[in-house]
Order: sequence, then structure tokens, then C-alpha cells
Amino acid sequence: MIQAGKGARFSLSGALFCCVVVLLVLCFVSLLVGAGEVGPVRSLHALLSSGDGEARFVISELRLPRTLLGLVVGVALGGAGVVLQSATRNPLAEPGLLGVSAGASFAVVLAIGLGASAATLNLGVAVLGALAGCLLVLLVSQVRGVGDDPVRLVLAGAAFSGILTAISSLILLNDQRSADEIRFWIIGALAGRPQDALIWSTPGALLGLLILMPLIQPLSALALGEKMATGLGHHPALTRFGALTGVAVLVGTATAAAGPIAFIGLVVPFVARRLVGPDIRRTIGVSLLLGPSIILFADILSRLIVRPYELPIGVITALIGAPVLIAVVRSHRIPTL
Amino acid sequence: MNFTVFKYARRLTGRLALVGLIGMASLGAAAEGRSVDTAFGKVTLEGTPTRVVALSENALDVAVSVGAKPVGSVATRGGNDISAYLKDKVGDIKIVGTARQTNLESVFALKPDLILAPPDLAKNEYEKLSMIAPTIVPKATSFQDWRINVELYGAALGKEAETGASINRIDNRIEALKAHITPGQVASVVRWNPQGPGIMSAHLFVGQLLKQLGFKPTAMAEELQSKPHSDPLSLENLSRIDGDWLFLSTLNADGEQALQTARQQPAFSRLRAVSEERAVSVDGQIWSSGASGPLAVNVILDDVEKAVSAQ
Repeated sequence: MIQAGKGARFSLSGALFCCVVVLLVLCFVSLLVGAGEVGPVRSLHALLSSGDGEARFVISELRLPRTLLGLVVGVALGGAGVVLQSATRNPLAEPGLLGVSAGASFAVVLAIGLGASAATLNLGVAVLGALAGCLLVLLVSQVRGVGDDPVRLVLAGAAFSGILTAISSLILLNDQRSADEIRFWIIGALAGRPQDALIWSTPGALLGLLILMPLIQPLSALALGEKMATGLGHHPALTRFGALTGVAVLVGTATAAAGPIAFIGLVVPFVARRLVGPDIRRTIGVSLLLGPSIILFADILSRLIVRPYELPIGVITALIGAPVLIAVVRSHRIPTL
Repeated sequence: MNFTVFKYARRLTGRLALVGLIGMASLGAAAEGRSVDTAFGKVTLEGTPTRVVALSENALDVAVSVGAKPVGSVATRGGNDISAYLKDKVGDIKIVGTARQTNLESVFALKPDLILAPPDLAKNEYEKLSMIAPTIVPKATSFQDWRINVELYGAALGKEAETGASINRIDNRIEALKAHITPGQVASVVRWNPQGPGIMSAHLFVGQLLKQLGFKPTAMAEELQSKPHSDPLSLENLSRIDGDWLFLSTLNADGEQALQTARQQPAFSRLRAVSEERAVSVDGQIWSSGASGPLAVNVILDDVEKAVSAQ
């Protein structure tokens, strides 16, 4: 059996407790600071007592919705990241890097390009696109010489994303009408999303997690190798397929809600493994807390760096994520999961 | 022998010189050779050009407005054809590139006798184009008076009188329209984006027109001295784009729909201009892209007139 806590620095309960505290603090800060004139002190007044109308408006109509959306998107991307890494046994696997997010956003761009404009349609389309991206990952990972080399799998994903981005740009060039709508599906953001984005993305994220929960045990066994997992009574192929379906639902939901946000799925499992060791039964809980923490942290920075303007959140997550990617690749042996 | 050859040669040169003189005189009678002051020095032009290639929306606008029929132009930014407001006026025209990149071979194939280039044309690009035909690169940037480049292109086309008259007509129209506008109202022009609008500089051509009409820009638009538009403004700071009028520039064909989408954003719908029904959606290709010729001016004045008279 897997030794619980092998390579862990913290006990699971200790790590979970720290993550909860960090997440709560970030939620609080996310309500307190912004790019506008309503500073932390005014916000605190508005939160504690009645405060002034402007501050109350900014907190309840602008900061609260984006904070809640950040929580849902963070949970979805954090969960998707850690499961995708387990299912592909690749520490570089990340929905953004492997082309799953690109599949989701491309599907939406294609739908808009073909004339669809209903926002509700986007969720289904994005999940289908993410599913197509996941199936491609599954196919590529079966190719001898590519599947067992983490870096090559990422290269395949980069090529796939590159093709989809090129076609998206082509649609953008040809279709002036949807240019404004499509731009969002290339950058991604938490601010200014329609109010119902939260309402339909929450069940989407919950559904994805429900699909994944029964698969955590089999995925953990998969880490011992296909033969061992089969010997323990699991079905590796079925487990992989189920896991990637769950990942597709999560990534599709997150993309439909906030556009493509890269690197969260890479950073979260990386930090989670450092905290509690490589076993997915231990990392999954921590990841579901770390995901929203990193999203909120990036979102807070995106409001503060270029005040009174804002940066797209994807820029910040890339700044955080790229060094992690380099660190993982540069470490002499890439740990196989 | 030697002497005869010399005499013959002298007679020939004399005749050639005579032919040359007559030729120049007849040209001068048709249209005087005129010198146009461009960013890359003086360019001398003769006659009325007939095969004009306009490498910017503004140049095309000016050419069409004086009745010239350019043979080639570039696609509007973000599209693959001539901007919609010029499309039905240009007739048969060849696309020779995009606003960012000109296809030199296509330009060459058209055998132009005049090339009207945008102000920011790079020197190496200019050197190549000027080998094909006289190339006019304006000195004035889009932050200077829009009339300067209209007049320059007009002079290059040999239609100074026409551009002068159309500028006069525009000035008269502005004076007439101004009478219906309460002076000192704040008018804001933004590029709409659901994550936060980009503010258009008050010093560009649309800003110049609005100022002449008696509107005042927002402080943030005034501050944009050298950038055409700002980064996306945080929704928390949306009050900084507020004023008496809000011109919402979108690239969507259905501007009304874009306005409806914007209204769903609570920070937008509580703006004074929006709650008082003075937020107007306008065509981004004219209001916030490269257009700045007389035809674009008239579209903008139409939009303003419509908005003001609806009150």
C-alpha cells in the first residue's frame, strides 16, 4: 500500500487548516481592496456597520460577485489540475498546457462564430470542447514515446492549443460582429461577468467533483502502476476515462465562467505535493482549497498593479505559473506520478 | 566626317531640348507641378493622379470624398474588407493588405501613380513604396488637427479646392449643430468591453470634433496625450467615465444589443449618463479606429445630431 504521508512536510489536517485560514484571509482581502477609490478602511466600515452607499455598492455588486466566481473557478481548476496529473501520471499535465482549456474556449468561439449568442449555451459548448480536448490528451498519451514522456505530452498540448488559437484568430478576423464577444474567450477574466455566470457555474463545478470523488481511490492505486491497480480490482482504462470526463466538466465550467485561465492546474498540485506528499487521496482536499486561494491572490494583484486600470487575471497566473513550470522541468528527474 | 557628325549631334540635342521645353510647357498648362511637404521631405507631383492607392482608412476617406476612385486600399482593422461606411462609395477596389501590413506586390501590380500612406509608415517601407510611385506620408499624427492631413491628401490628389470646400461645409455644419447643444456638457467616448471599458483619448479626431461642438471631455480622456486609448478601466472606477453623454463604441453590428448587455452590469447602469438615457452606442469602426476623413466626420455628426435631437 501507499505510505500515507510519504514525502509530506505537514500532517494532512495541519495543511488543510492552514489552507482554510489562507483562503478565508484572501476572501476577506478580496472584499476589502480594489482598483477604485473605496480603500480597505472604507470597505471595512461598510462591512462592519452600514457604511456609505458607494462602498456598499462596490463591495456587494462588484467585489463579492467576482470573489464568489473566483472561488468556484478556483475549486474547479484546482480539482481538475490534480486529477489530470494523476490520470496522465504527468506532473506537467495542466488543462491550459494540454489544450483542454483551449478546446473549451475554442468551442465557444466556434459557436459564436456560427451565430450563437445565448450565454446559457456556452456552458454546454465549453464542456463539450473540453471533453474533446481531454479525449485528445487520452489518445496522445497512449502513443508510445509520448505518453510516458511528460515534456512531450506538454509539447503535443502546446501544438494543439496553437492550432486552436490560430483558428480562433481566423474567426475573429472574418467575423467583425462577434469580435467583442470573442476577445473574452482568448483572455479570460473574473470581473464584469454576467450575474448568472455564478448561478450556472456552481452546479457545473459540483457535478464535476461528484464524478471525480469515487475515482480518487482508483486513481491513487493507478499511481502504483497499471498491473498493481488491476490486481487491486480497479479498471485503469475506465478510471482514466471517468477522470478525464470529470476534468472536462470542471474545465468547461471554469472556462465558460471566466474564460481560459492558465497555470492554476499546474501550480496547485505542485504546491499540494510539497505540502502533503504525492498521494492524490491527500492532495485532492488541499488542492480544492489552494485553487481558489491562488485565483483570488492573482485577482487581487490584477486589481492593484495598474490602478485605476486592471490587468487580465491570466497575465498574473502566467507570471506565477511559468516559474513553477520551469522549476518542474529543470528538476533533474521529473517525478512520475 | 567628324565635323558633320558633331553638327548633326548638336542639331539633335537642340531639337530634343526644344521638344522637352514644349512638353514641360504643355504639362504646366494642364496642371502645375506641385510640391507636397511630407514626413520624408518634399514630393513633387504633376497632373491629376488617376491610379491612386490609399493605404489607410483616412486616406481612402479623403480620396472618396473628393470624387477620386482609388484603385487599391487596405482592409479595415480587424476585418478583411473596406470599412462598412465606405464600402458602397468606393466601387471596384483591390485590397492590397491590412492596416498593419501592405502587400508590396499587390500595390506594384496596380501600377499606381500616387500612393497615400498613413502617418506612421516606417522608413524602409516608404523607400520601397516610393520606388513604385510618389508616396505621401503625412507629418501630422492623429493627435493633431484632423484637417491637416485631409488638406495634405487633398493637395496630393490635386483637389485642394474640393477638400477646402468640404472642410468649410463641415465647419458650417458644426456651427449649426452647436446651436442645439448646451455648451459645457461632459461627453465621454469609450470602447466598450464587459471587463472594463477603454477610454478614448480626447485629443484624437472624435475628441476634436466633440470639443468644437461645445462638449467637454472627462479628465481621464484629457490625460491621454499620446496613447489613443487607455487599458481596460476597472469597473470600480466606472464613475470616471460618467458625464452628460456617453458614446459607447462597439465593433458589433448590433450596437443596441451591446448596450443592453452593458446595462446588465450594475456599475454601468447606475452611471448618470445611462440612467438619464444619454448613453448611445456608436460604430467603433468610425468612432474608435483609424477613420478621420470628411465622410467619417459626417457620420459622427449624424450620430451626435441624432442623439441630441432625441432628447
